[in-house]
Amino acid sequence: MSSLRVEAIDVFYGDVQAVWNISFQVEAGEIVTLVGANGAGKTTTLRTLAGLLRPRAGHILFDGKDVAGLPANELVARGIVLIPEARQLWPGMSVRDNLEMGAYTRAARAERHRTMQSVLEMFPILQKRLTQNAGTLSGGEQQMCAIGRGLMARPRLLMLDEPALGLAPMLVRQVFAALKEINGRGVTLLLVEQNVQHALRLAHRAYVLETGRVTLEGTGAALMDDARVRQRFLGEAGL
Amino acid sequence: MERLASVLLSSVLSAGLYATMAYGLAVIYGVMRIINLAHAGLMMLAAYVTLALNTRFGLDPFLSLLVVAPLFFCFGVLLDLTLIRRLPQGGNAPSMQSLLLLFGLWLVLQNLAYVVWGGDTQAILTPYTMSSVPLLGERYGVPLLLVFGVSVLSLLGLNFMLRRSFLGRAIRAVTQNRDAALLSGVNAARISAVAFGLGTAFAAIAGTMLSTLYAFTPDFGRSFLLKAFCIIVLGGLESFTGVAIGALVLALIENLMAAYTSIPTSFQDAISFSLLVLVLVVAPTGLPALFRSFSRRAVAR
Ligand SMILES: Nc1ncnc2c1ncn2[C@@H]1O[C@H](COP(=O)(O)OP(=O)(O)O)[C@@H](O)[C@H]1O
Ligand SMILES: [Mg+2]
Repeated sequence: MSSLRVEAIDVFYGDVQAVWNISFQVEAGEIVTLVGANGAGKTTTLRTLAGLLRPRAGHILFDGKDVAGLPANELVARGIVLIPEARQLWPGMSVRDNLEMGAYTRAARAERHRTMQSVLEMFPILQKRLTQNAGTLSGGEQQMCAIGRGLMARPRLLMLDEPALGLAPMLVRQVFAALKEINGRGVTLLLVEQNVQHALRLAHRAYVLETGRVTLEGTGAALMDDARVRQRFLGEAGL
Repeated sequence: MERLASVLLSSVLSAGLYATMAYGLAVIYGVMRIINLAHAGLMMLAAYVTLALNTRFGLDPFLSLLVVAPLFFCFGVLLDLTLIRRLPQGGNAPSMQSLLLLFGLWLVLQNLAYVVWGGDTQAILTPYTMSSVPLLGERYGVPLLLVFGVSVLSLLGLNFMLRRSFLGRAIRAVTQNRDAALLSGVNAARISAVAFGLGTAFAAIAGTMLSTLYAFTPDFGRSFLLKAFCIIVLGGLESFTGVAIGALVLALIENLMAAYTSIPTSFQDAISFSLLVLVLVVAPTGLPALFRSFSRRAVAR
């Protein structure tokens, strides 16, 4: 099982800083969630960890090795996989091709038939959709396909950016159940979610991000009881 | 009626070549989001290489494709590794730097051809250059039919590669959603090199085929680049069928004009250029997008 240590990273878009001196860690086998309002820098953080953005300062240690600044394909090969915001499937490719392309790295490709089988067991609906273009799927099916594609890469650390966004409550529960199962199989999870209540309940530990900085951290249960969190994210009126 | 049938046949025959020509541009744009302005120069260069292989070794121009296509694939990869790769990356529209670089490359190729082969008009003659076969009451040149056959074969081959191989699917994945491809472990730099190689190879296939139909000079290819632009504006740059539809529409318009109006064929370029402008005004996102929005409106009703 893999661990992640983020040490004081700064991330910029051009000259504009979006992430300020953020540090956190995800221990091997843990589920950690980053919560925060829109624009807090959650997506930026995940995209940096996945190698789509480069941190201007700081270190990213994956299983003890500094991986900051490595290109995305190199990170995927090491087991860091991001399921991006808004699914980002290939709309003109079949569900089967979307899943198979998830297993692009050499190691994942060798195992792809077996991985595919376990993905289809987890999301049986995809079995019926295999030959359909991904662009024709419903929102829930698209999210399952996106998670399935991420699993096809055989991740050691799986990062998810708002996997429950726009889904009906029943599907949200199904997605969170799947995440729990994936974690049970030994995959370390880093989850970003607007659905704070679900996320805190699932996560072992959580960090609160505000305007690009970590402002609070604690176990999921502790943050659930924190007055500031309740007021800001769980819809409780302030006193 | 018979006349219309032969117009349709002629259109389909030229559409094959047009699609081959345009697909080279489309595959490069899809992956790299740059417009290969050097396309015409590459077609011209391939015509001269075909001529050289023909005069030196007596190699048949169609057979020489087996040499020319791989050669230009490598040339394209080399161009990417040495030049294109240095351009600023990212962004969804072709950068000014990429346009200037590739336009400059075209000029360099052109001047190189002037130095090596001079400015005289060249042509490749084969035993079958002048032969023709009767079809639907008209006679069609054997080279034209061979060009159509080769076009269809190379497009089918490319399509098969794009759908069946991991490399081909990676090319489509980068075209449809670059970030998602990167996140699946695709090495974007490698795929870009392959795409530029493929685009260059398709420019070369088109150039070799054109050299069996037309005489050429180092300026050769300009009007065909214009046609290719017209096709991709008509069909959109991102889909295989779009390119095919664009090619067919352009070929149909040209052939209908030639058959039913007295506009001289020397005005053909003016036709494709007017069409280009017209489409940009009426349907700037291309015909497929226009059809899609029509059918969506029809469904909504
Ligand atoms: N592509 C971009 N270019 C410039 N600024 C951006 C870009 N993406 C996000 N930002 C800015 O970075 C900050 C963090 O955004 P983001 O990471 O998307 O937040 P979150 O995912 O928490 O909603 C915001 O202020 C946002 O406006
Ligand atoms: Mg976000």
